[in-house]
Amino acid sequence: MELELGLALPNNHLMKGLDLNDGSTTNSYRKRGFEEAFEEVIPKATLPLFVHKNGGDGDDENDSPQLKNSPELNRALVGWPPVKHPRRRSAGGGAEERWSEHCGSNSDDGGGGRRAKCVKVKMEGVAIGRKVDLSLHDSYEELFHTLNQMFPNMQHELGIGGFAGFAHHPHHHRRRFMVTYEDGEGDWLLVGDMPWEDFIRSVKRLKILS
Amino acid sequence: MTYFPEEVVEHIFDFLESHRHRNTVSTVCKAWYRVERLSRRSVFVGNCYAVRPERVVVRFPGVRSLSVKGKPHFADFNLVPHDWGGFALPWIEAFARGCPGLEELRLKRMVVSDESLELLARSFPNFKVLVLVSCEGFSTDGLAAIATHCRVLRELDLQENEVEDRGPQWLSCFPDSCTSLVSLNFACLKGDVNAGALERLVARCPNIRTLRLNRAVSVDSLSKILARAPHLVDLGTGSFTMDHRAEAYHRLMNNFTKCKSLKSLSGFWDASPRCLPAVYPICRNLTGLNLSYAPAIQGADLIKLIRLCLKLQRLWVLDCIGDKGLAVVASTCKELQELRVFPSDVCGAGTAVVTEEGLVAISSGCPKLNSLLYFCHQMTNAALITIAKNCPHFTRFRLCILDPGKPDPVTNQPLDEGFGAIVQSCKDLRRLSLSGLLTDQVFLYIGMYAECLEMLSIAFAGDSDKGMMYVLNGCKNMRKLEIRDSPFGDAALLEDVGKYETMRSLWMSSCDITLRGCKTLAAKMPRLNVEVINERDESDEMEENPSDLHRVEKMYVYRTVAGPRNDAPDFVWTL
Repeated sequence: MELELGLALPNNHLMKGLDLNDGSTTNSYRKRGFEEAFEEVIPKATLPLFVHKNGGDGDDENDSPQLKNSPELNRALVGWPPVKHPRRRSAGGGAEERWSEHCGSNSDDGGGGRRAKCVKVKMEGVAIGRKVDLSLHDSYEELFHTLNQMFPNMQHELGIGGFAGFAHHPHHHRRRFMVTYEDGEGDWLLVGDMPWEDFIRSVKRLKILS
Repeated sequence: MTYFPEEVVEHIFDFLESHRHRNTVSTVCKAWYRVERLSRRSVFVGNCYAVRPERVVVRFPGVRSLSVKGKPHFADFNLVPHDWGGFALPWIEAFARGCPGLEELRLKRMVVSDESLELLARSFPNFKVLVLVSCEGFSTDGLAAIATHCRVLRELDLQENEVEDRGPQWLSCFPDSCTSLVSLNFACLKGDVNAGALERLVARCPNIRTLRLNRAVSVDSLSKILARAPHLVDLGTGSFTMDHRAEAYHRLMNNFTKCKSLKSLSGFWDASPRCLPAVYPICRNLTGLNLSYAPAIQGADLIKLIRLCLKLQRLWVLDCIGDKGLAVVASTCKELQELRVFPSDVCGAGTAVVTEEGLVAISSGCPKLNSLLYFCHQMTNAALITIAKNCPHFTRFRLCILDPGKPDPVTNQPLDEGFGAIVQSCKDLRRLSLSGLLTDQVFLYIGMYAECLEMLSIAFAGDSDKGMMYVLNGCKNMRKLEIRDSPFGDAALLEDVGKYETMRSLWMSSCDITLRGCKTLAAKMPRLNVEVINERDESDEMEENPSDLHRVEKMYVYRTVAGPRNDAPDFVWTL
């Protein structure tokens, strides 16, 4: 664990996690639990993060980069499309349910019976996490697609320029990322093992590891 | 020039209309500085944290009109945390103490509390104009205070604010002696108003010209109001739903016919197509029409209405107007200057949408077009090149292709050439928003050609640091640069640190800048506030404690003479 002494931390509670002997801090405790769970999980086949719907592995140069399910993507990206909040709320025909901007903190969705299920997503090596509304997705594939769009720096690591370029990289050279999640009991598991509906119920937050 | 009596110099300064010109003359010599500051009546503060309110009051003691802006633009899209800042109270307090002659206050994207509104209402006996745009933090109680105490109020203009509803009584707080209202806009209020109080208020204000009602005001009420105030110029209807066969409907149409001065129409909440003909009588004179809150008006009904609006200069619609509808606009509205096409339900199946075709049609039919906000599903380079040729007078060009990073669907190419054509052709372009698949090339064009560009919004664009560098090196008049989800890092950020003192602000979120880059910038430029916005809560693990190498999620940089602000919340670090 690195401690950045040069930075004046305004939040003292961040300091608490440093004391590993302090049984009351669940943070460090969870960390150990996470690693232990992980040892079991590593040998299994990892689920590729980048899922190209059409399965076109080789002939991707000529395909138009399909940003699959872009309306879903729009719904999951914070602040996109760039439309002011009051306008979203008044859009007709059930659109109120579907505009889900800042998950969780704006609780004034006018209509809509469906509850948003927002979970935090952290990627290893990235200081600040994102949030994704799981209730807007129907499958793991959709979720991976959204995560893929949320962390475009992955593409830079893969050496591809441009936001839409990833889907048709000419080489099969994809770094595998692992998406894990913490369930209700504090265990860290690999995303994708159980039926989507069960996953939705038990997931608390997500973490992407390389 | 020192042999000119000061009154003469002051009189000459009266002819300078823009703030920039007055700012410039104040730097010529001490005498001019003094004359200018004492005779200044209007001050515009583009960033509330760039200067302390007390300082403004001391320098300009005779100010009558103050405008202040708070949060960065991306706050409109929820990219700025709710309690980031932008408080109106310090400004109202300072002016209450030092400048009680204030008559007009205009605030945008600020947090305004009921307490500040009460203070405002009581502190300025000559207060006439209150305009709040995209503000929050107050309730109808604050409005009640304004209504009660501002004896000579002329304008109360509430645009797209988040206002807590504490009941309808605020409107009844306008005393019977209040007859001075010229402009009243409460369209953004969610709650009910007392219909009788509203009608009586309108009836006793003979000078009322702008009236924008909220959704809670019924058509019946509207009808009565129109009967009392046929001299209205700008009307925002309330709820526009009624039985078109009923007596009330015919009365409404009749009352509309009497409104010979009506030039601008908006509102139309819950409007159904059958009710539209009520406004047909006045369409001929309309210069402004906003149907963007009426999703039920589509297709043929919309077209029928538009065909009557020959003098339209400003049109705001939803994208369900479709390319066909836009073609009708193009052939009908030859005077069109401003067009905004908003997205309706993105997931709606079967509703018409707009593509590049609609915009091309508009550009060829409406050569006076100078301001555009266009949400569409696709755009091509060929279309943009045509549009650029047809409409060289754009001052504001905001294009939002709903699918981030989407290329030209015909050629599969990035849209660099298309936007390049726009900046090359539109020599007066001041504001530009980009979208679609874009490489560094588009930024090369922007840096080369967009000489007048003052505000640039970038999302999901570019390949490398070079992109941002082209813009910073090229655009001499850049004032506001906002970037999200683009691969610009520390090298671009630090390329020309002096540049940021010539700009109002820079916003970068979800880019590749690191904490080290931000710290370096802050160290080199003491007159910039480099804010790192760091949202986190208690459940974050200790390992998330960022080292210098960690990417910064949100950074806001702005020039200031006020130093680091003292009201920053925990999650905002001013480096």
